[in-house]
Amino acid sequence: MDTPHYVAARVQQALAEDDRTNELGIQVYVRGNQLFLRGQVTGDAQLDVLGQVAAETAPGMTVHNEITVVEVTKPETEEHLG
Amino acid sequence: MDEIRIAAVADIHLGEGMRGRFRPQLDGIEDRADVLLVGGDLTRHGTLDEGQVVAHELRDLPVPVIAVLGNHDYHSDQNIEIIECLRDAGISVLDDSSDVVSVGGMRLGVAGGKGFGGGFAGKCASEFGEPETKAFVRHTREIAERWRHALKDLEADKKVLLSHYSPVKETLVGEPLEIYPFLGSYLLAEAADAAEVDLIIHGHAHKGTEKGLTPGGIRVRNVAMPVIGAAYALYCIA
Repeated sequence: MDTPHYVAARVQQALAEDDRTNELGIQVYVRGNQLFLRGQVTGDAQLDVLGQVAAETAPGMTVHNEITVVEVTKPETEEHLG
Repeated sequence: MDEIRIAAVADIHLGEGMRGRFRPQLDGIEDRADVLLVGGDLTRHGTLDEGQVVAHELRDLPVPVIAVLGNHDYHSDQNIEIIECLRDAGISVLDDSSDVVSVGGMRLGVAGGKGFGGGFAGKCASEFGEPETKAFVRHTREIAERWRHALKDLEADKKVLLSHYSPVKETLVGEPLEIYPFLGSYLLAEAADAAEVDLIIHGHAHKGTEKGLTPGGIRVRNVAMPVIGAAYALYCIA
């Protein structure tokens, strides 16, 4: 079995470099054969493909996709810079 | 008019799946802002197709739109085509350059570009050693020099520096310390501090912090969409 440290690094690199994802800010945690993805993305279409790339990069591990989508709303307040 | 109202956002990362989904959040922006600044990472993969989605979402707004590209927008080597596409849609794209818009009788000058990394004073890379390291540091140094000229030549009542990369550490708090050199450079702040800049807008650091200051006292705002938690933030400069 690969050292968890290197598995996490390999998955993080794949999520950044794979043209299907190109997500640089995803955190990857490995505990035993469980792999956890955390972070935020701007669109829900990215969620499934991030889990897919992680699973392909770490075959045999169970991927838990805990990534969330940024909620975009209109701003509530403004800041006055005197 | 005694103040200029600036709407600002970065890291909108639009792609084909988001066509028509960002624009509704900009409805009514003219009631709250005089200009919209977009601080890079407009796309996810930097393709022209994604650039066309960005143009579709931002074109024909009732306020001027000024943007810079980010590192994602360079990934597919189509940055020049993306800039042309955005300019064709009436969006002003700064590429180490400046623009001036008239706002209620006042001139708002905006200078800037993508920026780059290298780290912060005392803990930064130097133009020393391998050619790759020298090229990395030189890229930022040359950008900062172009910004100095752009800011010096800018004739406006209020000046804003628009960047993708951060000029200060304060707005990176929340990001891992180990990646700070890839998130910004103090050389960008130094260029702004040499001019009379009223505000610096940047993005790139999704897990960072909204508010910071340059060593010279210029207000810095990280408007990466995950940081501000909205389609744009609003800043009024008196």
